Amino acid sequence: MNDIMSSEHTATNLQGPPLTQAPAGPKPVQGLFKRNPPIAGEAEAIEAAKTGDPEAFSKLYALHKRRVYTLCLRMLGNVSEAEDMTQEAFLHLFRKIGSFRGESAFSTWLHRLTVNLVLMQLRKKGLQLVSLEETINPSEEDAPKRDFGSRDPHLTGSVDRVTLERAVASLPPGYRMVFVLHDVEGYEHNEIATMLECSTGNSKSQLHKARLKLRELLRESGQTLQPAVLKEAVR
Amino acid sequence: MTEQSLTVISCAEFQDHLPDLFANANGVPSDPALKHHLDTCENCSALVRDLQYIADQARMLLEPADEEPSDDVWSGIQHKLDSERAEALPTPPLPS
Repeated sequence: MNDIMSSEHTATNLQGPPLTQAPAGPKPVQGLFKRNPPIAGEAEAIEAAKTGDPEAFSKLYALHKRRVYTLCLRMLGNVSEAEDMTQEAFLHLFRKIGSFRGESAFSTWLHRLTVNLVLMQLRKKGLQLVSLEETINPSEEDAPKRDFGSRDPHLTGSVDRVTLERAVASLPPGYRMVFVLHDVEGYEHNEIATMLECSTGNSKSQLHKARLKLRELLRESGQTLQPAVLKEAVR
Repeated sequence: MTEQSLTVISCAEFQDHLPDLFANANGVPSDPALKHHLDTCENCSALVRDLQYIADQARMLLEPADEEPSDDVWSGIQHKLDSERAEALPTPPLPS
């Protein structure tokens, strides 16, 4: 098995050595570090966990279990598998915490570890037989419709979290994976391309289709809709 | 540059550029033809607004949902860590 903790900054190829070179100096993944600020008491717990302190493990688990579980659930779409993967992620974390050097946010490191584990799991389940680039393409009926002729009604009002969460959950798996990695977790296209072993262009294209599909799903789910021209008129 | 000299593009052509536009400029085109289309096509400008809105709203999903893993997950972790610790302990010498 590859060392999924081999770098705090670079995406790791799950079927071989790391593909990308770490940038010079401790440059955290852009966006993620800002979005994952240190948590009070976390640094002490990390240092204690490095010495094998069970209380520190418990604290780190309590601090991060929801985010790790939510990430697994979003990527896998299955409660049982998400729980198994959450357990696996924390076991890896506790076994390897000694290699955490603090150059990126701990949660960034933990998330990357989790993402890599989930992708490994998906490959074990059969995705290694064909390239992800092919398998992440959904069937025709799942693909977002392109309708250039009609006046397209657009989303109005605010989309609440529950509605958006449901729409994301109903995305085809390939779209969901790229959307979660990019728009929710903050990974860059080049990182996603390395993780999924696809091209950067493919990652961009999948993300665009995912957003188009989400727009469709949100409109179908009863979001307040009105033609664009009407919305402009009522302003 | 006058409007007449702009290359007129269709909605399909404009939308073909959207993945790169969002990746590089958050949906704001620098190409005059694309910008002109965005400024004048209600359908495509509504589409761009919606896609930007969806991308913005996705950030609220970074905070974890209310769901938590069941208590079995932590029990399983503790059990495995305990087993690993026990295995790592030095084996006591056999009595002579």
